Amino acid sequence: MLFIELLKTSWQSLRVNPKRSFLTMIGIVIGIAAVITIIALGNGVKAKILKELQATNTGKQTTEINYYPNDSTAATQGFSENDLEQIRSNFSATLSAVKFKRDTKNISNTVTMGNDNRTATLSLVKGANQHYDISTGHNITKSDNEVNNQVALLNKKLAIKEYGTEENALGSALSVGDNTYKIVGIFTKASDDYNVDFLLPQKTYLYSTAAQNGSTIKLTFNKGVKVSNASKKIVSFLKKNGSSRKAGSYEYTDMGSLLSGISKVISSLTYFISAIAGISLFIAGIGVMNMMYISVSERTQEIGIRLAVGASGRSIMLQFLLEAIMLTVFGGLLGFLIGWGTAALISLALPFKAIVTFGSFLLAFGVSSLVGIVFGLLPAKQAANKNLIDILR
Amino acid sequence: MIDIKNVNKFYGQGDSSFHVLHDINLSISEGEFVSIMGQSGSGKSTLINIIGFLDDEFKGEYFYYNHPIHEYTRTQFSKLRNQNVGFVFQNFKLINTLTVADNVGLPLLYAGEKRKAIKEQVKDVLEAVGLPDASEKKPTNLSGGQQQRVSIARAIVTNPQFLIADEPTGALDSKTSREIMTLFKELNQKNKTTIIMVTHDEKVALQSERIIQILDGRILSDKKVNA
Ligand SMILES: Nc1ncnc2c1ncn2[C@@H]1O[C@H](COP(=O)(O)OP(=O)(O)O)[C@@H](O)[C@H]1O
Ligand SMILES: [Mg+2]
Repeated sequence: MLFIELLKTSWQSLRVNPKRSFLTMIGIVIGIAAVITIIALGNGVKAKILKELQATNTGKQTTEINYYPNDSTAATQGFSENDLEQIRSNFSATLSAVKFKRDTKNISNTVTMGNDNRTATLSLVKGANQHYDISTGHNITKSDNEVNNQVALLNKKLAIKEYGTEENALGSALSVGDNTYKIVGIFTKASDDYNVDFLLPQKTYLYSTAAQNGSTIKLTFNKGVKVSNASKKIVSFLKKNGSSRKAGSYEYTDMGSLLSGISKVISSLTYFISAIAGISLFIAGIGVMNMMYISVSERTQEIGIRLAVGASGRSIMLQFLLEAIMLTVFGGLLGFLIGWGTAALISLALPFKAIVTFGSFLLAFGVSSLVGIVFGLLPAKQAANKNLIDILR
Repeated sequence: MIDIKNVNKFYGQGDSSFHVLHDINLSISEGEFVSIMGQSGSGKSTLINIIGFLDDEFKGEYFYYNHPIHEYTRTQFSKLRNQNVGFVFQNFKLINTLTVADNVGLPLLYAGEKRKAIKEQVKDVLEAVGLPDASEKKPTNLSGGQQQRVSIARAIVTNPQFLIADEPTGALDSKTSREIMTLFKELNQKNKTTIIMVTHDEKVALQSERIIQILDGRILSDKKVNA
């Protein structure tokens, strides 16, 4: 019989008893789903670690320390140049660099507009972009940014509120820090990080406020330094000596050790879950075998009839073997999808994404067909070796 | 066509072995319609199973168109069965989970054809046995006579050299039996299909051309039916 027709025959037989076929599959589904889940999470954490390490060039690790003011409207950013100097001199053995981490979007700062001092939000641009439109005046250009022109764009809402019309706002002055910017345009329809009060040229702004203060600093460690320990020490140093220690707190997240911790947990879980999945697959395999034996003995007449009309022992064996394999492969594919879904769900609660690879798919496919072959072979052989004369009596 | 020489058949092995057929010699030519009669347990089914290539475990020689079948392997037997002989059994032997059309097409699938390609052939034989509308039904929804027609359709779908029928009317009432016999005679006369049939029923046997009597595994008599 042609192989394709043999496949159809097996499929037909499975459909005769859909409930039993489905129940037999469940063990395989669970086993494969568990393996795929844990592998997807393991892949995810590994990829994340790799990315983190690459971010620190040549394998040097970094930490960021954030300053959180107690009062969110406070003018202080937390770190001053003086703080940085102190860290540099006290921790020169462990640190290779200490820098402000410069925000470029959604910066909160004190500005003077007209005669009012106010806290405003601003984002920095390097030239025109598609995240906002200009309704009046003209945009900040690339060259404005490059030659440090002191120009600014004002949000339409604020313009109407403060100046009545957009035209009135054009040409007025805006002071940020020591610099005074001229408002050259009104912007509207801004999205995401650009929906702020002012847009300023990035280079101009960073140049004027260079290395004076910030709310986040980035520490780069020398090779071989225990990052967690060192970070802890620097934070407690800041708590004693930092310039803004009374108005807020200093905190750091140590991504490296967080991730390697998770990675360790996942790799020990991987062994554990693989062992459980292995047992589950074994039991599921026995279930498949059991069901195939029952099927073979229930369908003795069918086997006799097929043999009588000219089926070879080989095609009878293949038919039953294919039934077992189809059962386990469908179970495996279902398990693959469920495992993928589960991993994606779990990773919502973790700082990385689950990654399902083609290799995982092949694994699910391979393992499930293997279970089908291993546990389907004996019943299939039994079917093929039935004595035709005894059946026909 | 069929030449059986000194065939002996034992069931079981060693001490418990049971000698069923004793030195059977038998020749059947193309186009014959032969009945085999005898008491229950006399070995009729055993003999017909050997003739129909269902049983390859016998002693002696069996030449089919001068080919020494007794030397064939199991796989060769499957092929021989598939391509040369059709079976009709007393209890029909249909697969109840398959439709009538699938049952009838089964021998063609095992002959290596595609499901799509055999539809027409299946339709034709179902028409020939008088069941043009039954193809999508399940066998259990048909009467005994109809089921036997389906099994005859399955037996003739490959255009076999000969049919063997083991008490084909044994489970049917006399009216249905007559219909089935009419069908057999038609096949024998129109299509020149050789038919070898086991029966208990004298009346049924008299419709064939030749009657072989068996008693305790030996051929008792072998006579032409007087027209
Ligand atoms: N598969 C078998 N195993 C053992 N004994 C069998 C088998 N088939 C038939 N027999 C025995 O062989 C004898 C002949 O059986 P069978 O050929 O079926 O007779 P018939 O068809 O003439 O009624 C019987 O006594 C039966 O019990
Ligand atoms: Mg019998």
